[in-house]
Amino acid sequence: MPFRYPVNHSRISRRDFLKLARDAILTVCGLLGLGGVLRFLSAQTEPAPQTDFDLGLATNYAVGSQTVFLQIPAILLNTSDGFLAISLICTHLGCTVESKPEGLVCPCHGSRFDLNGKVTHGPASQPLNRLHVEITSDGKIHVHTA
Amino acid sequence: MRRWLLIVSGLLLVILAVIFWQESHRIKPIALVPTLTGQVEYCLTCHSDLAQISNSHPIQTFGCVICHGGERLALTADLAHSTMRGGANPSDYSVVQVSCGGANCHSGTAASYNDHIQRATTSIQETYAGAIASILYTFGAEPDLTARYATSAVQDPGSTTGITSLAAFAPPPTSNPAILAFATNCLNCHISGQPLPGTRTFHFTGCAACHTPTQIEPGTGENLPPADQIHKLTTAISYTQCDTCHNRGNYDLRSMTFQPRQDQPLDRLHDYYQPIAQFTTCEYELDCIDCHTRVEAMGNGNLYGKETDIQYIQCKTCHGTTTDLPQTKTLTDPNDIAFRQAQLNPVVSLKLGDTILVTSKGEPLWNTLLSSDGTYEMIDKVAGVRYTIPLVKGSGCLQDPSRQDSASCHLCHSVTR
Amino acid sequence: MRPTFFHHLHPPTIPARQARFRYTLAAGGLAVFLMLILLVTGILEMFYYIPTPDQAGNSIQTLVFLVPFGALVRNLHYWAAQFLVIVVLIHLLRVIFTGGYARPRRFNYLLGMLLLVIVVFLDFTGYILRWDEGIRWALVAGTNLVKSIPLIGNGLYTLLVGGSQPGGATLIRFYSWHIFGLMLPAGILVAWHLFRVRRDGGIAVPPAALRKDHARISRYELVRREVLAMLLALAGLLLLSVFVPAPLAAPLTATSPLGETARAPWFFLWVQQMLKLGNPFLWGVLVPVAALVLLGLIPYIFPHPSGAELGSWFPKGNRFAQLIAGLLFLAILILTALALLPAS
Repeated sequence: MPFRYPVNHSRISRRDFLKLARDAILTVCGLLGLGGVLRFLSAQTEPAPQTDFDLGLATNYAVGSQTVFLQIPAILLNTSDGFLAISLICTHLGCTVESKPEGLVCPCHGSRFDLNGKVTHGPASQPLNRLHVEITSDGKIHVHTA
Repeated sequence: MRRWLLIVSGLLLVILAVIFWQESHRIKPIALVPTLTGQVEYCLTCHSDLAQISNSHPIQTFGCVICHGGERLALTADLAHSTMRGGANPSDYSVVQVSCGGANCHSGTAASYNDHIQRATTSIQETYAGAIASILYTFGAEPDLTARYATSAVQDPGSTTGITSLAAFAPPPTSNPAILAFATNCLNCHISGQPLPGTRTFHFTGCAACHTPTQIEPGTGENLPPADQIHKLTTAISYTQCDTCHNRGNYDLRSMTFQPRQDQPLDRLHDYYQPIAQFTTCEYELDCIDCHTRVEAMGNGNLYGKETDIQYIQCKTCHGTTTDLPQTKTLTDPNDIAFRQAQLNPVVSLKLGDTILVTSKGEPLWNTLLSSDGTYEMIDKVAGVRYTIPLVKGSGCLQDPSRQDSASCHLCHSVTR
Repeated sequence: MRPTFFHHLHPPTIPARQARFRYTLAAGGLAVFLMLILLVTGILEMFYYIPTPDQAGNSIQTLVFLVPFGALVRNLHYWAAQFLVIVVLIHLLRVIFTGGYARPRRFNYLLGMLLLVIVVFLDFTGYILRWDEGIRWALVAGTNLVKSIPLIGNGLYTLLVGGSQPGGATLIRFYSWHIFGLMLPAGILVAWHLFRVRRDGGIAVPPAALRKDHARISRYELVRREVLAMLLALAGLLLLSVFVPAPLAAPLTATSPLGETARAPWFFLWVQQMLKLGNPFLWGVLVPVAALVLLGLIPYIFPHPSGAELGSWFPKGNRFAQLIAGLLFLAILILTALALLPAS
């Protein structure tokens, strides 16, 4: 029934024009409905994940120390050039990279990174993200993931 | 048929357009995720113009629902407010334990100084035990003045006063008419009682009775209606708040009615106390809470049968006697409650090593200071005015050292209005 | 034009007189359409609804207040459900009052009765899924009614409630009944019911020799009429859903607030009214089941219209059955009205 009429635009009959109009209106209704359903399904009801992590007093982390925080997940290094926070989210497919004596190793597909985040062994191709470190006026160290 | 299909299709399109328009004009919800609950609430969508209730209860930490209850996700007033505790006042004693209680909040232990709810709900300002006992004894329903009844049943098994429980005061219909009249007319002035009608008497019930300052119309002194009261909790409680119950008038025992005071005071001197009262300068220049201590105002968790058993502050606490200087204490313990009390107050601050006055029971008067040059100072907790405390010792005071009640001091020092 | 799948679902032609709105009231078709709406909106709701006691109420509030078109989807689902109950009752009454249940349509009539029962229980289980203060007493009374059945009552109660009293287990079971346990049989029965309509010879009409009016309409015209009815129903449902929200109260908690009027859902008000008379098993189970059985037996025990009388309203041949059905529905209406009066 829908969308079947001769497409001779110069001499379209009234019946066919009305059919065209009806089908066009119903198509728009259908598209509106579809758009509405897509918007409906796209709502995000969970609160956004935390992006600011308070790790306590900066003095708690000795120079040369490496501390893993699984809740971020990130590793905090107190280097000679200051604090460095490297994300432990593997850049391959997102597993949490583990800190081992031999370096940072991802348990899922074997990617390896050095303590600067650089890839030393694939399959990952991108280095681990550096996270912004902030030391507040009361000496607390904050890591921002966003 | 075909024509109808076209028309109805058009109608459907119009309706869908209306639906989309309505959706785009929907009120945008304002989310708040308080750190104490971690659950999103949308109260601010409608109530974003409401002031934060106090610096000790920041909204980013507490949110609204943890105290008020209510449906945190709803955006219609009826549903959102349907489960609110105590209506607009979650500190009403019927719901205070849920709203303000908890071991980390206001129903902890005496040792951690956060047993406010236990103290306030058993205090004589709430139980009214003394007034009830007096009336029952006067009109022959009880053999003595021992307190046995309160405005609502309350227990205190660990009481040190000998009163371990009080039953709810509900005189049977066969009681003396005076007692029945008392029960009907005279139970307005306790913390959970409905305030007296009239000007200057409006206050909320529960904790808010003292801690939420009643808004009065400037000039006339009339109560503002409940809708114009403010969303605020404070420890800087002005005398006007106390005077929503106190100094309102007198009971007439013969007619068993309350006779409100008839004067129209224009200034603090005439407003503070009712016309028959005697008082000194400090008693009207300071606020009530500058002298009346934490235990006096809110109780100490024990049940008392008489106001005089709990109220003990005397002139000599600050002024000393002809032979003794006022008692003091040097603050060496950083966990001393005096520091916490000073911190909560906007005008007083104390530091470790300060010497302050103490009462005979050891309660710190944290708005006082003994400075290095020997002068004793008091700061008004509400207005922040500093006063130097004149000492009795070394002055021309003619007191009898054994008579330290305030009436004796008033003989010479009372103010003439 | 070549007929599509939808055209083929319909016979090539049907008698024009019986195809009129004033004959069928479009009730059967509307019922199918409403079920389709319920299926679609129900699936959409499933993306947000969480069937646990502490999450159910909050997930519905999230859907209503925070999800774009969420309130619309919920209201559509609610109104389609309530109208479905009314429409299937209208359809049942139409079939009785036109005698369309006579042989060979008796079995299909029974299929329809079964569908009626399933639809009512779908409405009830959906009502319970709200898990707010409004459903509290319906849940308690409804499940306790099951317990009142002798011999099997306690066993049935445990099956239904999943514990000794209504709680989280009950909610997930009602959810399972609602989205699958009742929907699957309903789907199968609807397909079978529609199949039987065609196999039994389509809409009931007098045999050709006895017919006065031989006009017929094509399947294309029939489909056009059905599409029009669906579009109108959709427009009406949408308008209603925009302006009249589905009810929602505060989520169920352990303690009930005092002073609430306890009302059954509207389609059970007649049972609630009867339950005021006494024995719950008698008035809450036996009498409603008896009414159902009586209706179900109509094609089998009461006189039915002759062939010539088919295809019209109020044929003489089954006056008695019409009377019984009419009285039964009148009684239900009166009981419902009485239940709505404020308690004295």
